This record gives sequence, structure tokens and C-alpha cells, in this order.
Amino acid sequence: MKKLTSPYKWGMIIDLDRCTGCGACVVACQAENNVAICEKKEISEGRNMHWLRIERFWVGDYPDVRVRFLPVLCQHCHDAPCEPVCPVYASYHNPDGLNGQVYNRCVGTRYCGNNCPYAVRVFNFYDHTWPKPLDNQLSPDVTVRPRGVMEKCTFCVQRIRRAKEDARGAGRMIADGEVQPACAQTCPSEAIVFGNMADPQSRVARLSRSPRGFRLLEHLGTHPSIVYLKGGGREHV
Amino acid sequence: MKRRAFLKLSGMSAATALLAGCRSRNEKLIPYLVPPDEGITPGRANYYASACRSCAAGCGILVRVSEGRAKKIEGNPSHPVNRGKLCARGQALVQELYHPDRIVTPLKRSGARGSGNFTKISWDEAMRILTAQLKGVQVRGRDRLALVTPPFNGSLAELTAEFMKGMGSPHHVTFDLQSPEWLAAAYRENYGSAALPYYDLSETRYVLSFGADFLEHHLSPVHYGYAFGQMRQGRDTVRGHFAYVGGRLSLTAASADRWVPARPGTEGAVALAMARVILQEKLHDEGSLSANGIQAGSLLKGLAKYDVPRVAEFAGIQPQTIVELAKDFATTTPALAMVGEKVAFQSNGRASFRAVHLLNVLVGGLNRKGGIYPAAGPSTSATGGYAGLATLVERMRAGQIEAALIHGNPFHSIPVATGFQEALAKVPFVASFSSILNDSAMAADLILPDSSTLESWGDVVPVSGTREPVVGLMQPVVAPLHDTRQFGDVLLATAAALNGQAGAGQQKTYLDYLKGSLKKRGAADSPAQWNELLRQGVLLGKRGGESAQYRWSGGGGTPDVEPPRFVGDQKQFPLFLETYPSIKTNGGAALPWLQQLPDTMTTVVWDSWVEINPKTAAQLGIAIGDLVEVASPQGSVRLPAIIYPGIRPDLVAIPLGQGQFAGGRYAKGVGVNPLVLLQAAAEAGATHPAWQATRVSVRRISPEGNLVMHGHPQGSYRSELVGV
Repeated sequence: MKKLTSPYKWGMIIDLDRCTGCGACVVACQAENNVAICEKKEISEGRNMHWLRIERFWVGDYPDVRVRFLPVLCQHCHDAPCEPVCPVYASYHNPDGLNGQVYNRCVGTRYCGNNCPYAVRVFNFYDHTWPKPLDNQLSPDVTVRPRGVMEKCTFCVQRIRRAKEDARGAGRMIADGEVQPACAQTCPSEAIVFGNMADPQSRVARLSRSPRGFRLLEHLGTHPSIVYLKGGGREHV
Repeated sequence: MKRRAFLKLSGMSAATALLAGCRSRNEKLIPYLVPPDEGITPGRANYYASACRSCAAGCGILVRVSEGRAKKIEGNPSHPVNRGKLCARGQALVQELYHPDRIVTPLKRSGARGSGNFTKISWDEAMRILTAQLKGVQVRGRDRLALVTPPFNGSLAELTAEFMKGMGSPHHVTFDLQSPEWLAAAYRENYGSAALPYYDLSETRYVLSFGADFLEHHLSPVHYGYAFGQMRQGRDTVRGHFAYVGGRLSLTAASADRWVPARPGTEGAVALAMARVILQEKLHDEGSLSANGIQAGSLLKGLAKYDVPRVAEFAGIQPQTIVELAKDFATTTPALAMVGEKVAFQSNGRASFRAVHLLNVLVGGLNRKGGIYPAAGPSTSATGGYAGLATLVERMRAGQIEAALIHGNPFHSIPVATGFQEALAKVPFVASFSSILNDSAMAADLILPDSSTLESWGDVVPVSGTREPVVGLMQPVVAPLHDTRQFGDVLLATAAALNGQAGAGQQKTYLDYLKGSLKKRGAADSPAQWNELLRQGVLLGKRGGESAQYRWSGGGGTPDVEPPRFVGDQKQFPLFLETYPSIKTNGGAALPWLQQLPDTMTTVVWDSWVEINPKTAAQLGIAIGDLVEVASPQGSVRLPAIIYPGIRPDLVAIPLGQGQFAGGRYAKGVGVNPLVLLQAAAEAGATHPAWQATRVSVRRISPEGNLVMHGHPQGSYRSELVGV
């Protein structure tokens, strides 16, 4: 049997000091991953299908009011609360450290979504349609999820797979920066950086050692793969 | 022609695929026993370089095309403006192409105007109708033709200008609410050069923005977004500081370290008070002043009335804030000050503009690393503008315009107060070139649908965001989906059909015209070079030498920022109104991705809203999500309220772009258009109206605002839970 270890541990850095809250990542993710278009009614029920959202926090009162942005996506936890509760192993951990979701195993119990402290798993409560010819935009690399299936950020696993095939064909490892999820690729201010945490020289590994680093709700012990870098800095010069 | 055949002919040479990892795959062709259809490898995508024309920034894009269909838009890494990055609007280009409500053939009106009843006709018939109408106009009076377009640049600007010159009509109006031509005029007045500025943001240490939302819509948001990241964390030991002056905490201001909520229209006075502090404390750059012909002593004397306590009271901020801002700005080198549309479209916008740029001169921020340079923008200056629009409306009202050709959606994006909409009804023949049945197309008699960006040839000259001249090349990445024709092609065919009377008649197609125009700008000649240009998607020029420098003009004459004037009585209309461009402007409202994208500051989806300070809302008895009526002397709108902690208590704000009565299933009837509130307060001699100088009143109507927010209102205050 093939040994289930991998030279890759995919991880992400989100620098909150660079994030401007522009929303490019949200739409890039939706475009790359065939994320459904949700009507107003659906979102009013709290059933938005976005895999990546930008949380916005107000701090203080006028006129000393500040705003903090926090892009939240699947944290790809190494001790993921969503995984042990799935009765059909649809939610599983792959050797690269990705928290995978097998759509055709999912039976829609929604236990995983219930157990996720980051609220990043979204459930297809409805059959979503892409009115013709809008369906032409659907990416052939990514499954279109039917009703009754849980879905979430995959770190654009289809891109990772492709890069792995390319690298294997050339008999080498994936180079740093060679594979990027859609959100990191489009981020204008380069707030999002993606790479291999197992390589201590990679950009993500170096950034993850920043003193500004923290993990989201890290006291829960989920050991996320995403490291946030604190923003703010000096309030005045 | 089959789509695949078309693809092969038009772009195969360009298909050399900048694949992920940026390596050429040419050497690794896989032989097939039975070759797949015409060079398309199933499962392997091709990447075509093109350009985005959704806003003036003009970013370069790469389109991922799989099995002949456009799948994903990415930034072009070799384009100097966006360097592989892209905004949400650019990503959504693919929905513009595959929009289910696009106009698929030319249409002729069959019911009353505005009823939306159209009959499908052929291109032959449509061109016959168009040329017959224009021939009639030429006989009765050549100046009876009008052309209304968004501000084009590059070859399309040349072509429209030539076309109108050939037709002999001066009524070519390129109107945009954020008037780039007004900005150009302001820069000419201050610096003797009409070039818009290039902010060297990535190298600066202190950014001071007076109402310039450079991360959202000001000049080149993706470029300055990139530069902003560099400014913050791109350097080892320096973290750039950012201060924002303006009454509303915009998305851009949200990233600032310091927000100074000055009263609308007082920003220029704040800048002058800062200048006075800098001069008094002798923190100014003497060399820069003398190089720009300013004498420090006389300037200080001229600024006597801008003493800090007086201005602070005028602006409604703390005196200490102005002093701190001034000292920080002058002692942190390099520093740059920018000023945006919000300030420009106050009644005293011109003077405020000059006041802010005086700060740049005072600290020696011109033509310097980390300061501001003139950008290499388009050389063809926009025509018309607001003055042209006013003249046109007058002529239309008087029945002196017999045919109007409309591109874009001016019916929705021009404030009603100008009278444009009502005057357009008097024009006997209106033709629209819209690709979707938007408000303007609804008002037309004939629709000649334009192709979408991803089906078109073209060139895009970025308005700012680079110091080297750059031309982005747009190419069709998929075969035309519908029976549409490019606007340029229709203009050329019309000119030719009018027996060459209309000029621009030498070239048969717009592609030839484009090639000719690019050749003039130093583009490649041979087919091989042309193919290489298509592959790169961008034509880079050389930076101009000494001539490409800003120099203060007008010497030491001090700008005088008068108190701003507002439309509307203060008693009856106690609040200031700010309208700001959102992602839904410039056609974004029609695209479902952008409607679904929560506005980051409010997390509202699929709607418009009015932002009100919590204190004001409490006084007026308004809760979040209540339906309120916002009324100005010009009109009123009803929309849901958002309690917004980052806005002055005497200011409310509404985003632009929504509120169409047509525009496809995703835009139709969504939100409101706040332009109906604005009054065209153009005074004698004014070259632009003060769009930001309207007062309004707000009244609660009912608790049913039907507001949908993605974020939870309570959750947005609990940042301590996640430690940000």
C-alpha cells in the first residue's frame, strides 16, 4: 500500500494589513469553483453559497471609529471538527493537509457544517441554475454540486492536482508560487499568499513566522492551515 | 463559420498558451492517432491575452478558454498596470459575455417608446434604416446629429471623432459623472500638464487622501491596490502611513490609520490650514518652492485667513488634528497628497484641488520617488464633457437634433436634472448600440447590438497607473455568440454607406482601422510581430524624458477656498448627500456575481441603501433595515437605511449604479438611482455642476425596507472574539 505521507502541507497567509476589502477574491473564487448564484431571498435565509466571505468589524464610535476586514474561508484545520462527525467519510483529510469534501459521498446530514466553528461550509438547500448561455462559464474542472450536498473551499484543489501532474511529468517538486488558488492569484494587494508550509524556505512558511501571525479561533485547538497577520500597526506616525 | 474554425483563424497563433507556471508548452505536443477537432485539446485550456475596458483603469487580462468557451478571467502578469491582479468587476467580464438577456440581433421598435416592444430585424435592414435616417439628417442640416458615448480612448476615440467630423456635427458628448476631462483640466491648471497623476504609492511613507478612493474607483484601483500592499508591508523596515480626509469612511478610508471626518466642501480649507502650519513651522521644502516659483513668505501671508482654530471649526474637526496632520505630512519623507472626485464636485472643487496639490509642492513631492508624477494617459482628450452635454440638451429641447446615436447607458447615468432624458424623447430618431436592453436601449428606435468585450477587437489605454505609455490590446477570445457587430465596424460601414462623405471611409473593418491606429503609435507591422503583440496583449512604450514632469503653474498665487454652497434650504433639508460609484456602476448591476457580492462595508446584497450615522438615525427614529424616504429639492427616493458608524452625523450617502427599470433580469428594478436627487447647480461660467453639493432630508416610512445583509449586524461589532 502506498504510504500516505506527502512532501506538501498546503497553507495560506492572509495579511490583514494589506487587505483592503475590495472583494476581488470573493468573485474570483465564485468564478473558479462554479459557486452558485444566489437570489436575494436565499441570502436573506442565511444560505449564501460563497466559499469565501469578507467579515467586516466596526471598532469604536464616531469619530474614532475603525474598520477591520477579515477574509474567512475554510481554514483546512489539521484537527478539523468537521471530519469526525461525517457518517459517510465525505469530509476527510488528505495527505497534503487539505480538508477535502467528496461530493458524491455526501448525504447531506449537515453535521460538518454544524460542527465548523468558522461557518465556512455551505449547503445546497436549492437546485441552482445557470440560465443559458450563462452555463457556458462553468469550469469543466470542477463538479457542479447538486441540491442536498455540502460544499466548501478546496484551496482550488483542481489547480493543485494540475500542478502536481505537471511537476511529476517533469520529475520535480512544485515550485514555490507555481500553484495559487483563484483568490490569491487575483488579490490586488497580495494580502493572500499560498504555498507549501512543509518547505521552510517557501514564502508562506517565512511569513508564517512573522510576529504578527495568529490563527483564527486558535484556542479551539483546530490547528488551521491559514495564518493571519495582524493589521493596524501604529495608530499615528 | 463554425465557432472552432473562427477561433483557429482569428487567434490560433495567439494560443501559445501562457499556461499556469508561465512556461511555453509548444515543445510538448502530444500526437493523437485521431487528431481532436481543430487543434483543441480536450481538458487543456488556452489562455488568450486581452484587455478590460470596464473602467478607465484599463487592466490587462488573460482569458482561460476551454473547448472554445471563456471560463475565467485572470490578470495579465506582463501588463504593468495590474501585474496579474484583477478586481471583481474584471472577473465578471465573462458574465457580460454569457448574459442570458443579451440582445442577440438588431431590433426595431414596434410599440411606443419605452414600452420595450421590439421586432427582430436583420443587419442589412438595420443598416438600411440607420443610413437612411442619417442621409436625411445630412440633407436637412449636418449639425442635427448627436453622438453620446462613454469617454473612449485609443482608436475608438479617434474613430468616433473622425466619424463626427465627417458627418459635420459638433455634438459628440462623452459624459461621465466622474468627468475625467474635468480632472484633466484641473491638472492642466495646476501643473501645466493635462496628464492625470501617477501616485508612487509603493515607495511612499505617508499617503494623505482628500476624498480620493484610490482602492475603489479613483483612477486605477487595481494598480493602487497593489501599490498599497507594497506601501504597507512590501518593505522590510517601513510601514507606510495612510490618513484620509473626508466625511464618509469609504472602503478606501477603512484601510487608513487615521480618518479625519471633515465636513463636505471644507477639505480644501483643511489643506490650506495644513499648508500654513507647515510654512509657519518652517517644515517646507525650500528647494521645491523656489523650483516651482513660489515665495514662501508671500504664500504664508496669503494664507493668513486659514488659521487652524477657524478652519477646524469650519470643518467640524479638532484643531489639534490639523496640526498633527500637517507636521506628520511634512516630516515624513517621502509623502504624497491626493485629491479625488468627492472633493472635486463640490462648488469650490477647483480651489480645493489646487489647495491639496499645493501640499505636494510644499513637501517637494512632485516628480520624486514616493511622490506624484504625471501618468502616461491617453493622448486623445475626451470631448464634450458637461458643457457639451448642456449644449446638446438645449438643442434637443429645441427640436434641432434629429438623430441621436447612443452607446453605453447615459439614460441611467446622467442626472435627470440636466434634462437629458426628457429632451431625448423629443429626438425623432434614436439608435442605441447597447448589448443589453438597458434603460437607454429602451428609449431607442433602433438597436444595433455591440459585441461584448470578449468578442471584440480594440485597444485600451490606461488612464493612470503607469508612467510608461501602455496600450492594452483587446482581441476576440471566443467566436461571437450572437448576431452582433462591433460599434466600430458599424460606424465604419455607416460612413462608407454615406458615400464616404462621413470620412473614416478608407478602412473596411474596425480591425484594419485598429491596426492602422496602432501602427501610428509604434506597433508592429509584420504579421509575426502582430501575432506576438496578440500573445502579449500589451504594447509598451518608452517613458517621456524631462517633458513628463509636473511643474506648479500660476506661481505663488494662493488658492482661495470659498465656503461651499449647497442646493436646498438648510432647515428643510438638514443633511448633506454624498453619492459614490460602486461596483454596480458601468454596467456592473447587470451581472449576478456583482449583485451577489456583499458590499464590504455594509454587507448588503442585491440592493441600494442609504448610510446614516447612528446618532442621526436615533434622532430620526430609524433602525437598521427601515424603509426611509430621502428627499432633495429635485426629487425623492425610497430605500432601506443602514446604520453606518463611519459617517458624519450631518451626512448621508447612497451608492450609484442601481435603480434601472430595464437592464436584464439581474438589474431590473433592483435598488434606486440616487441621481434623481441631484440638482444641476451649474452656475454661470461653471464647467461642471457640483454633483456632491445637494442637501436632503430623511424620513422614516416603514420597518419593511426588505434589506438583506450577508453579515450579521450584531456580529460586526465583536472583533475581540476573533482578535482582529
